[in-house]
Amino acid sequence: MIYDEFVTQIEGHGRIHFEIVNDKVVEVRLEIHEGSRFFESFLRGRRADEVPQMVSRICGVCPVPHNHCAVQALEDAMGIEVSEQTRMLRRLTLSAEMIHDHALHLYILASPDYLGVNGITDLYSKFPDLVKRCIKMRSVGNRAIEIVGGRAVHPINSIPGGFAKLPTRADMRRIVKDFKSIMNDCIETFNTFANLKYPEFERATEYLAIDDGKHFPVYAGRLVSNRGLNADVRAYRNYIKEVFKPYSNSKFCVIDGHGFHVGAIARINLFKDRLNPIAKDLLESSQVKFPSDNPFHNNLAQALEMVHYAEEVIRIAEELAVKLKDEERPKQTKDGTGVGVVEAPRGVLIHEYTVDKNGIIRGANLIIPTGMNTTNIEEDLYALLSMNIDKPKEELKKLAEQLFRAYDPCLSCSTH
Amino acid sequence: MKPRIAIFDLTDCEGCEVQILNSKFIDKILENVEFLNFRLGQKINRWEGFDVAFIEGVALTSHELELLKKIREHSKFVVALGSCACFGGIAAINNFMDLEEAKKYVYGENADKIESLYVKPISEIIKVDFMIRGCPIVPEDFERVVSDILAGRIPREHTRPVCMDCKSRGNPCQLLKGNVCLGPVSYGGCNAPCPSAGMPCDGCRGPLEMPEMIAELELLKKVAQQDDIIRLFRRYAPMVTPFKEVAGGKL
Ligand code: SF4
Ligand code: SF4
Ligand code: SF4
Repeated sequence: MIYDEFVTQIEGHGRIHFEIVNDKVVEVRLEIHEGSRFFESFLRGRRADEVPQMVSRICGVCPVPHNHCAVQALEDAMGIEVSEQTRMLRRLTLSAEMIHDHALHLYILASPDYLGVNGITDLYSKFPDLVKRCIKMRSVGNRAIEIVGGRAVHPINSIPGGFAKLPTRADMRRIVKDFKSIMNDCIETFNTFANLKYPEFERATEYLAIDDGKHFPVYAGRLVSNRGLNADVRAYRNYIKEVFKPYSNSKFCVIDGHGFHVGAIARINLFKDRLNPIAKDLLESSQVKFPSDNPFHNNLAQALEMVHYAEEVIRIAEELAVKLKDEERPKQTKDGTGVGVVEAPRGVLIHEYTVDKNGIIRGANLIIPTGMNTTNIEEDLYALLSMNIDKPKEELKKLAEQLFRAYDPCLSCSTH
Repeated sequence: MKPRIAIFDLTDCEGCEVQILNSKFIDKILENVEFLNFRLGQKINRWEGFDVAFIEGVALTSHELELLKKIREHSKFVVALGSCACFGGIAAINNFMDLEEAKKYVYGENADKIESLYVKPISEIIKVDFMIRGCPIVPEDFERVVSDILAGRIPREHTRPVCMDCKSRGNPCQLLKGNVCLGPVSYGGCNAPCPSAGMPCDGCRGPLEMPEMIAELELLKKVAQQDDIIRLFRRYAPMVTPFKEVAGGKL
């Protein structure tokens, strides 16, 4: 049957094509078949305040980063300076999104590879505690987004300038309480994933994340890498190039002609010193070593991040529980082109918009984490398959899919 | 025997599937149904014998069209999951614009290598037995439909407008504040999250069976420009009458 060639347990439709001739990998193709919805095109003509809600529909798994990246880019274009309170609320919802999204990916999509089960139902009957833990963490993450953004999937009230309706101090206390109740589950998640056996594989590559000079990456900053890239995000086109490949609806990104890696592993490799205290202690007292050049360790990095981002939500919500106040939303002061950047669960996300003086969108360009990772995935697949060439074909297929899944790809996003 | 369920997604955002996983009763659902096909949730999937198939998203490629027909052939009951499947959803905006120009804008000189079809609700391609509305769906609707099916009942539609949900939450009215709100003409049952979060309703659950469109448009014209009204109807349910008539208007 032709249809089930698609890789399962990833977001969207894609398959891996590889060819081996005389014990040599001659071709590897990451074919992304998700249809294109042309978001960049149809946003033109829309009012700026419509955009954040609409772009969240790029991805129902990680709607918050699209929403927040769009507001940041639109504010940059329209000369809107938001308050520190607004930025804190955005860091809070982005961090909460990491909890629900990493839990979904780690337990439902990735763990079956490591535990040798078929999928969610099988996982539930053999490891009910893991699924229950996942459900609990996801619902807490979702509820925080719902409280601040109005809804967990496709937040409603986050618009350029801030929020149409602000949460209350009592809401913040509720979030603190909720997140404290899952801190232990996050730590256990790290312990669970620290004890899994990851395929042995290493390939040195470039890791890219954002740096605001202060926080572990999450909302805004410069583009930085382990190979010395340090650039204003407004200049992203000078560094990140998009290449079209005829077998894929998603474009392939390169820096200087080669692949690079964004996502949890990149953030931890670059910024593990900025982790919150519990996450940092946990890493130091474990056998786990970062920086790591094993792409499968992206899953391990995600598990560690769950602890960090849960601490982050608690830290921000505790502060806002005391000082959250009503404030005016600032208005457009100029027109032009603006760029926004956030860390989505899957890595660096860039939105760029041109807005005219009436607040109407005239141009849009979006670069999505999975699009950034595509070239690196192909390069990793090539190396991984070459290294394991003497294994049976079924096993190669399994390894290839497991590697692809470890990147936590999102194909609906990458084609948008 | 447990009901044999399949969950398919065509091109979309998968938010409706995520809402299924967000259900408070997901553990009960996992216990009481058998997923024959659920690409997001499992590796081994079957291609026939579905009691109920849920289909999310729109068919943008000929491959997806074929897939739709195949699913219908092998299912007793087909449910359109979410506004993409029910009404064309957000991708249907392209139906009202120049598709070739859109492709060029996004893919430049490679535009002709990208296949993209006119977006239709899946009911225009295959027979659909029930719709779960919303962008995204609310988990409660999925739970209700699954429990109806488990009990051998045919699920029923909500029949009240969003305004009723809004009233029961005690929201100040967006229309009265001068914002373009589609609540009076849209199916409720979502618990009005949008007006409750300080924003108007965008009509993501589609038009009521007999909406008071004339009165609604009169009201909207008082608070918004024609262009903005047309664009609003070109959001999440643009391919279904009577929203389609407004959405197809000239900007
Ligand atoms: S209806 Fe909305 S939430 Fe559901 S798949 Fe379509 S875009 Fe996503
Ligand atoms: S805000 Fe919208 S949905 Fe709510 S009562 Fe007013 S018109 Fe109806
Ligand atoms: S209030 Fe309107 S736009 Fe919001 S979820 Fe309900 S029907 Fe959809």
